[in-house]
Amino acid sequence: MPDAYLIGAGQSPFGSFPEETYRSLFETAYERALDGVPGDFDADRIDEAYLGTLGVGGRQIGLSAPAVTEHVGLHGIPTTRVENACSASGYAFRDAVMAVKSGMADVVLAGGYEIMTDTSSDHTKWWLGVSGETEWERMAGTTFAGVYAQMASAYLQEYEVDPTALSRVAVKNHSNGAQNPNAQLGFECSLEDAETAPMVADPLNLYHCCPTTDGASAAIVASEEVAKQFYDEPIRVAGVGAASGRVGLFQREEFVGIPASRTAAERAYEQAGIDFENVTDQIDFAEVHDCFAIAELLAYEDLGFCGRGEASRLLEEGYTDPDGELPVNTSGGLKSKGHPIGATGTGQINELFEQLTGHGHVQIEDAQRGLAHNVGGSGGGVTVAVLEKEVDA
Amino acid sequence: MSRDGTRPNRGIVAAGVHVPQFRLEDEELSDAWGHSQASGVDSKAVAGADEDAVTMGIAAAERALADADLAPEDVSFLGLATTTPPLAEEELAPRVVRALGVPSSTATRTATASPASAAQVLEDALAAEGPALAVAADAPEGDPADADHAFGAAGVALLIDDEPVVEITDVAHHSDEYPGIRFRQRGSEDVETLDITTYQRTAMRDSMTAVLEALDTDLESVAAAAIHQPDGGIPYRITGDVPLEAEVVHRGVVADRIGDAGAAGVPLGLVAALENEDVGAEDVTVAAFFGGGGGATALQLEGALDGDRTAVIEDGEPISYATYVRERGYVVEGEVAGGGAHVSLPSWRRSLDQRYRLAAGRCPECGAYAFPPEGACPACHELVDFERVEMPRTGTVVAVTVIGQGGAPPEFVPQQDRDGAFGVAIVELDDGEGSVELPVQLTDCDPDAVEVGDTVTATVRRIYDQEGIPRYGVKFTPAE
Repeated sequence: MPDAYLIGAGQSPFGSFPEETYRSLFETAYERALDGVPGDFDADRIDEAYLGTLGVGGRQIGLSAPAVTEHVGLHGIPTTRVENACSASGYAFRDAVMAVKSGMADVVLAGGYEIMTDTSSDHTKWWLGVSGETEWERMAGTTFAGVYAQMASAYLQEYEVDPTALSRVAVKNHSNGAQNPNAQLGFECSLEDAETAPMVADPLNLYHCCPTTDGASAAIVASEEVAKQFYDEPIRVAGVGAASGRVGLFQREEFVGIPASRTAAERAYEQAGIDFENVTDQIDFAEVHDCFAIAELLAYEDLGFCGRGEASRLLEEGYTDPDGELPVNTSGGLKSKGHPIGATGTGQINELFEQLTGHGHVQIEDAQRGLAHNVGGSGGGVTVAVLEKEVDA
Repeated sequence: MSRDGTRPNRGIVAAGVHVPQFRLEDEELSDAWGHSQASGVDSKAVAGADEDAVTMGIAAAERALADADLAPEDVSFLGLATTTPPLAEEELAPRVVRALGVPSSTATRTATASPASAAQVLEDALAAEGPALAVAADAPEGDPADADHAFGAAGVALLIDDEPVVEITDVAHHSDEYPGIRFRQRGSEDVETLDITTYQRTAMRDSMTAVLEALDTDLESVAAAAIHQPDGGIPYRITGDVPLEAEVVHRGVVADRIGDAGAAGVPLGLVAALENEDVGAEDVTVAAFFGGGGGATALQLEGALDGDRTAVIEDGEPISYATYVRERGYVVEGEVAGGGAHVSLPSWRRSLDQRYRLAAGRCPECGAYAFPPEGACPACHELVDFERVEMPRTGTVVAVTVIGQGGAPPEFVPQQDRDGAFGVAIVELDDGEGSVELPVQLTDCDPDAVEVGDTVTATVRRIYDQEGIPRYGVKFTPAE
């Protein structure tokens, strides 16, 4: 099967933009993705598009994807809207890769967009809290903060972990995000700030929760032939794993991990030739889905960065700091950079692109291979992508 | 036997009582208003934000069935009396039928016109064949400045059957026109009185005298009397013309401790009287109900109840007046802002067996349990038709959080405004052969005190309202 390559990526600033629309934000991301391709790339070469969104606040549930491709002038191309909650554009990226690998397309646009901040807080909670098992979880009185808080309660109890670990996630990711001009909450926070914030859903406080965000992101996936027209060391999609899980947390066999994360990782690693047990030796950095601080801890364990119950030790040791063994969320993560639901997955791909092309805001030294981990809801859908720079090409 | 249309040797075989956990002391009320209009009410029971006539009735009925060790399938009649139906028009008894697991062939009655509605469902239960549940539950509302002062809350269920412990030996009626004493205008939630003191006291006293004297007993020999009790003083005042000693009336008064519990007042007073240590198996007790418009009904009973179901009257958690007006919803707008998550009414109804009866499914292929019992088996992933398994109503917390102000989905904001932060747990229910987990809200507890590993018990509560319709289902509360 032919390989697929990432030739360009971009994102709009993430934040709260009352003057912007989902179309205008996507236009920014798209233009930046085109600019990311070195040399003279003609947008007419884009054959197809897969775009992720949860539904733009409920105002454009149908056909928003063609609305944005037509808006940016990709007139007439087949466009598919992908909806898998917060993993929508992780899946859109995977669809783009499959389209190229199948040979049906040479150049495919993947991306996502969301407008989340221009409605009342009650309306926001109305449409955001409905990607779990609505009839049961929502009707017990939880939104996602509550469901992740339940995971946190089970995790902290099971492994006797000090809740300070949750705050360490915030401190690290804010420290990274403070250097990212596209970050929504681009400021540093102290451990004390993070420890003393108002409680949202015990044990998760405000600093353990990502914000709601307006934003868009885009990635251009291409065949080997196209990629080599622009790169001496093209970025190959070494693996894209995906997996589904029970949508309701209560329906899963465990609460102290996300089974679909592990399965998606195993699939991506197998494609990329990575040994799960030694993954930390085989990737240089990762973007993981830290919608809530507990999610980053679970991700370390589900993705094989450490054993069960050991994630807090990694944080304490600075293992995932930018100068650590395996930097995680150099972009600031969802926590600091922001989480515009449908745009998050390809937003992570954009960070991988920047790192692998040497343009990271918090640049990892000698970054050759990176991982992106994107979770839908509380774990109903997960994608894991591994991208690597082909130095021998 | 002088009763018409009822068979002899029928009466109370068991009883269940539910008194909400909150108590408002007279002192709190007096401090808030500078005085209290509730004569003889030292404290009153306060329904929680997620309680109403339906949930209190269900709680009492569950206890009556447990008291008799009777399976819900054996109930042949169920009547629900309340003056505060959650909906002004719509049958409520069928909700109680579903929640209890009583068969759909059960005859039902919903009676809502006055506090004397309780007598109507009792008479219906007497006329029924087989085990019959007469349920009364109420939490009246009124102008906080005066009418509300005496209003309390309670639920009572009397299980009526042949070969009773307490036989109902006579029923008498009296009817005359006495408007304006206790009424609720169309479209209003407020119970009112015109407060024409002498007129209404005379009306109640004359009605009580007439209906009690019509009973086939010598009132001087009666051991206890449960009399219409809109406050703690009236039962004594309105029996001034009949030979009932204050001590006899006192045995049937509960309004001094739980307030005016509307339709539940006299039935609860009756249970207290029948449990009184000075009332024996040979003794005669009377109960007299007064409907606001002038209808009155009296029962004559013979026998006594063992046990102390009414001990819960003395329990309870004292609350401030500020908490009281929040819990009662007097200061909270009920509208859902921003729109609630839309779970359609038909899909809600389809899940009632899970929400009320904790019905899970057993996989016929591999034996694993599924909740809710639909789709593929969670263990073997085969698409199967699950066998229905009713899970135990007590389980273990396996994950828990507390949803603070601002964290609740919009449809739960009114409840949170009234009752404060709430706990949401994932609870494991294990029947010894399998287990399921379900997400549930916690109630009647300090949510911060609930931890993983705690034991919790199911109780049916009002979950939320959508499109004007209240929806009910299980919540869990820490086990005693």
